[in-house]
Amino acid sequence: MTETEESVSQVLLKFLIRIATMSLRKQTPSDFLKQIIGRPVVVKLNSGVDYRGVLACLDGYMNIALEQTEEYVNGQLKNKYGDAFIRGNNVLYISTQKRRM
Amino acid sequence: MAANATTNPSQLLPLELVDKCIGSRIHIVMKSDKEIVGTLLGFDDFVNFLKIFLFSEITPEGRRITKLDQILLNGNNITMLVPGGEGPEV
Repeated sequence: MTETEESVSQVLLKFLIRIATMSLRKQTPSDFLKQIIGRPVVVKLNSGVDYRGVLACLDGYMNIALEQTEEYVNGQLKNKYGDAFIRGNNVLYISTQKRRM
Repeated sequence: MAANATTNPSQLLPLELVDKCIGSRIHIVMKSDKEIVGTLLGFDDFVNFLKIFLFSEITPEGRRITKLDQILLNGNNITMLVPGGEGPEV
């Protein structure tokens, strides 16, 4: 009797921990997105092209609006001033940068 | 074994495994022969990853781009996750 009670309580405990961490887990990417608005970021696309600029806004699909954007492909190719819009399906990652290279 | 036939309390779901890895090092292999090593901060339902203190992004020609600080990785391109992974070179 005690063994089954222990196993049931273990399963319940695991379940509760999952629920507790799930609520934490769901916050982190959307929290991160709220935090980095207005900061200089590096956006890398699937094609390997790098975009560095100040993040104006973005949404849950990773659509991005950047300001003062610079485009890097191996070296520096283009300079864009003003707004740049990137469609989210192309985005590989968004990274903040404390050190500018 | 008889208990596993009816209920499966010892089954480990994939997202559970990733959940366990939060706060520790993880190595992510992507579709385009790229790899990323860093510390996992969190993730969401679509397995978009939030990582902190990204050590390096390794491209196939052996180029390494070392970035620090946080990165939000798009889950579309992820092929494989290795919890506690060191990367291709130790």
